[in-house]
Amino acid sequence: MKTIKILHMYSNILDLYGDSGNMEVLKYRSKMRNIDCEIEYHSLGTENTDFSKYDLIYLGGGADFEQQLLGDDLQKCKNDIISAYKNGTFLLLICGGYQLMGQYYLDSNKENIPGLGLFDYHTVASSDKGKRCIGNIVVEAELNGKKTKVIGFENHGGQTMNITKPFGKVLFGNGNSFNDSTEGYFEENVIATYLHGPLLSKNPDVADYIIEYCANRNQQDKITLAPLNDELENKCREVMFDRLLK
Amino acid sequence: MKIIDLLTVFFGKLMVKTLHLLKRDGGNAPGLVLWTLNKKCLRAFKVDCPIIAVTGTNGKTSVTNYINNIFSQGDKHIITNHQGNNLDTGICSLLLNNCTMTGKVHADYLVLEVDESHVPVVFSQLKLETLVVLNFFRDQLDRNGEVETLILKVKKFVETFDGNLILNGDDPNTYRLGLANPNNKNVRYFSVEKYKYATDKLYEAGEGHFCPDCGTALEYDYYQYSHIGSFHCPKCGFGKKTPYVQFKNVDLSEPSFCVDGEKYYTVNNSIYNMYNLAAVYSAAKVYNIDKDIVRECILNFKVNNGRMEEFRYNNSVLTLNLAKNPVGANMTIRMLNENENPKELLFVLNDNLADGHDVSWIWDINFTIFNNVTRVVTSGTRAYDIAVRIKSSGYDPEKIVVKPDLDQAVESLFSTDGRKYAIANYTAVQPTRAALKKFIETKAGDKQ
Repeated sequence: MKTIKILHMYSNILDLYGDSGNMEVLKYRSKMRNIDCEIEYHSLGTENTDFSKYDLIYLGGGADFEQQLLGDDLQKCKNDIISAYKNGTFLLLICGGYQLMGQYYLDSNKENIPGLGLFDYHTVASSDKGKRCIGNIVVEAELNGKKTKVIGFENHGGQTMNITKPFGKVLFGNGNSFNDSTEGYFEENVIATYLHGPLLSKNPDVADYIIEYCANRNQQDKITLAPLNDELENKCREVMFDRLLK
Repeated sequence: MKIIDLLTVFFGKLMVKTLHLLKRDGGNAPGLVLWTLNKKCLRAFKVDCPIIAVTGTNGKTSVTNYINNIFSQGDKHIITNHQGNNLDTGICSLLLNNCTMTGKVHADYLVLEVDESHVPVVFSQLKLETLVVLNFFRDQLDRNGEVETLILKVKKFVETFDGNLILNGDDPNTYRLGLANPNNKNVRYFSVEKYKYATDKLYEAGEGHFCPDCGTALEYDYYQYSHIGSFHCPKCGFGKKTPYVQFKNVDLSEPSFCVDGEKYYTVNNSIYNMYNLAAVYSAAKVYNIDKDIVRECILNFKVNNGRMEEFRYNNSVLTLNLAKNPVGANMTIRMLNENENPKELLFVLNDNLADGHDVSWIWDINFTIFNNVTRVVTSGTRAYDIAVRIKSSGYDPEKIVVKPDLDQAVESLFSTDGRKYAIANYTAVQPTRAALKKFIETKAGDKQ
């Protein structure tokens, strides 16, 4: 049986908005294809994490207070995460996780939280805590040359700027900043986005893109995932597209 | 009293009287108008009795109803917001409806359920005697913001409050409020001893993993549910307490508990209800209410109104419970799991404004522990979201029936016999009650 090795970072700190559900969806959709997901955890106090052995590193979103708590620990992991990323480990980064991989995050208290600097973008939050991008969001992404609509829920005070390669084009909602035309950041092995929901729950295409990438990483024989019965997921998407895009 | 306040009340009262003459129930409208005109209008009321307020994420309505039931015995006159109009404007309407033309409010007790974020603004204007804080959980994050922001708001208020402060001592988020004003000698904690289903590990998404004083990770001897349990900070000692009220020997099968050396029986068979009752018992103890009255209420009183409310149809019993957030839903899942027999679940999920448009909280509900659930019917404006959620936890999708229309959902649910449970979120709970009642009455009518 194929195995995907996943490192879920700070699962007990960055666990707002049901983001841990992404792991549940990956596990479920992998299992249906006879692929095993082995999830390990890194958090404050975890020693000797070997970042090089994972196919996927996952960070979810958290509150400002909690994001500050993990700052020091994350900086310690900086070089390991960078080399894993360069080695082709997939990075799935939601909200806070997305922000922390950029240059810096200037939070609503004007506190500067340095990012890991993997990517060029940076994030600035309004000092008015009430000014946030909140609501349903639909973006159009392109995965393996195929266009797909991605739906989720955004809730962020931070406005992310200087994006070279966005994850998608905004069809409904805000995106990287207020009334933006683009959302998130994308590379072949990076999906960084503000979309909660959780992201993978209503977007089977995105989930399968990640699973296929991870399953085929460092493999001679590439596999193509067999389609699943996504009737409930598709109905769920239809209801929301009808509401938001018509 | 300032002349402007007098005019404010007079005007508001005229509004209420006019509505009465027109035989209209203005609901929240008079309070809303008054509040818009004068944000300090609450200080215009002269309340001549103790004010008791109940706040916290979950259990406000239940605890307020219990306190009303107990405190009203012996022909005591209570003014209270039964319908859960717990915002500043709702409380303003309540007082307008119950005051004289000059703003005098006369009763034996004013018992108020108050939304957490409205505690400071309401009680900067009304003299509060007792504040009961039940818990803080994540709740409608897109509407309320992060839990920490909400806690800080209430904390700021209690820093200068010297009345009775009744706190859940097993929730780090409410426990910390007791330290906010070192000069307040009237801080009292309630607690519930470890119960049968307590766990060593956190079972459901929780808040307050870290010591608010020094940032160290809190250590738990056990978790009762969510982050409620026996915690302490290994570094600074945060968490030490001598409970004013401690429920012991909690037995959910009878259901019963012991407190102050006596045994009490109740109709409530879940751990979170035990905490609600501990809060109620504490309030009654502070006011020296006769123990027989407390015992009688704990034994027989039921809140209903979609809170653990029972419905019967043919040979089926259905328990409906409101769940606005993961903790509420997890409690119902726990309860249905504690019943070993086969059962079916109806889950009604809406995403209206009052629910929060963000439904991602359903992913913090632990469905992997489903015990002998033979079928799930989902309904509401986000019926498919909850179906996908349950499916992804590993539950057989063939056993999930999606009926966005509530009447159809209820009909499908009762197409089989047996034990049923229903979970409905905030705006879904009253429509669900209505649909259940309609179905049961119509079917009973058909048979005659």
